[in-house]
Amino acid sequence: MSPAVREVLVWFVKASLIYGGLLGTAAVMTLAERKVSAWMQYRIGPNRVGPWGLLQPIADLIKFLCKEEMIPDGANRLLFRAAPLLAAMPAMLTVAVIPFGGAVKIGGVTTNLSVTDLDIGALYVLAIGGLGVYGVILGGWSSNSKYSLLGGLRASAQMVSYELSLILAILAVVAVSGSLDLRAIVEGQRTLGEWNVFAQPLAFLLFTIASFAETNRHPFDFAECEPELVGGFHTEYSSMRFALFFLGEYCAMIVMASLNTTLFFGGPSVPFAPEAHWALGLAAFALKTAFFLFLFLWVRWTLPRFRFDQLMKLGWKVMLPAALANLFLTGGAVALGVDLW
Amino acid sequence: MIVRRKELSLAERVYLPEIARGLALTFGKLFAKKMTRQYPEQPLPTDEVTRGQPRLVVKEDGHVACVSCGLCEAACPAYAITIDGGETDRPIEREPVRFEIDMLRCILCGFCEEACPKDAIFMSDELELADTSRAALLYDLDKLKRPKSALQRRIDYVYRINQRWRKPSSTS
Repeated sequence: MSPAVREVLVWFVKASLIYGGLLGTAAVMTLAERKVSAWMQYRIGPNRVGPWGLLQPIADLIKFLCKEEMIPDGANRLLFRAAPLLAAMPAMLTVAVIPFGGAVKIGGVTTNLSVTDLDIGALYVLAIGGLGVYGVILGGWSSNSKYSLLGGLRASAQMVSYELSLILAILAVVAVSGSLDLRAIVEGQRTLGEWNVFAQPLAFLLFTIASFAETNRHPFDFAECEPELVGGFHTEYSSMRFALFFLGEYCAMIVMASLNTTLFFGGPSVPFAPEAHWALGLAAFALKTAFFLFLFLWVRWTLPRFRFDQLMKLGWKVMLPAALANLFLTGGAVALGVDLW
Repeated sequence: MIVRRKELSLAERVYLPEIARGLALTFGKLFAKKMTRQYPEQPLPTDEVTRGQPRLVVKEDGHVACVSCGLCEAACPAYAITIDGGETDRPIEREPVRFEIDMLRCILCGFCEEACPKDAIFMSDELELADTSRAALLYDLDKLKRPKSALQRRIDYVYRINQRWRKPSSTS
């Protein structure tokens, strides 16, 4: 086998595995969401389909695929059909640059555990991730429904506001690490003491809060906001297109959780064992990401929804100044050569 | 009423400690005892006071206690009961040839039980009522018959609460 063919083959296997993993995790998350919400409300949750309800996502998928699809009168049919795809795609694209693990050697092939390593990985994540708002606003606008439109408007206003804080929080980490390459950022935090969460606790906090707003999750789920807007931007959607919005939301959650792991918790770094085997590193990455995914669910069933003006106030008057101050201090420290940790 | 807002402490205004407190609370609930009843496997517990669907008592001699007097039919506020009486050679002389209760009409009020002078109809503890057609829910004699032993708990209960009005000799 020529090296070029082998490289393509390796790349293909990696991409299939990582996307399969992403979609599989998203499926598990739909079940986890229902299970965790049930447990927190003294309930049991889905337990009829398969042992412990494990086949529930498959049953849901079959149901979604079989359902009739409706397009409301007066809807912009092209945009209405395209919006769910636009909502689901960005999260699936951004997962490409997440470094899940270091070099792996299987059968004489050595490769890094990520679809690709971009020099500007952090920038790529932000650029593509920012496109997610298009799916939401187009879905809301093209439905020809006031609830959808209001939901889409709110969601886009919120996502744009919080994206600023998100970017500024990531920028502080980039300043500390001195690189936009996510792999370089990970390699800068091999041991527990080097994890960015200790050098940048404020950035971590801001990033976590902003990631909730970016993925339209509680307590910032104004895009849906059931009591006020029926279903928000996806009120008029049905069948698999409806499911695609949720697939996008769950994928975005997974990407945000793995990004949080990558930027602040050393990605695949195993505490107290910097030279651990790559499988252990992958397990560490999965565990850290699972915690942040659980945090999404945990917060959802704990906090009440914000009011929209409170959300904007928090975004512009608290998060943004805090993120700017953090970036200013970090930048100053880096420029003056002060060791932050 | 004037609602006075409580002055918030600094920790409450910063919001984060309160979020941590809330998260701790919900995390504890994760392991709390579950309230769910797994319905078909764990049916609702019934009691002697449970007023389920009416059923006809079949006495030890194998005949229904009903003499088709029509009092339950008259008492029924939902017109769910239809009775056609017929003659029999037994000493009681009358028995129902048709006794139908439309379960879709029955409101489980128990008036038939109260009206019956012969202790022939009682509210059972059978609560589940589901079928695929209206015709299947029109219960005839065969579907309504229950041995007396199956209804004994309810019969005893009705006797007990009716003691003050019942003449000692009137029991059948």
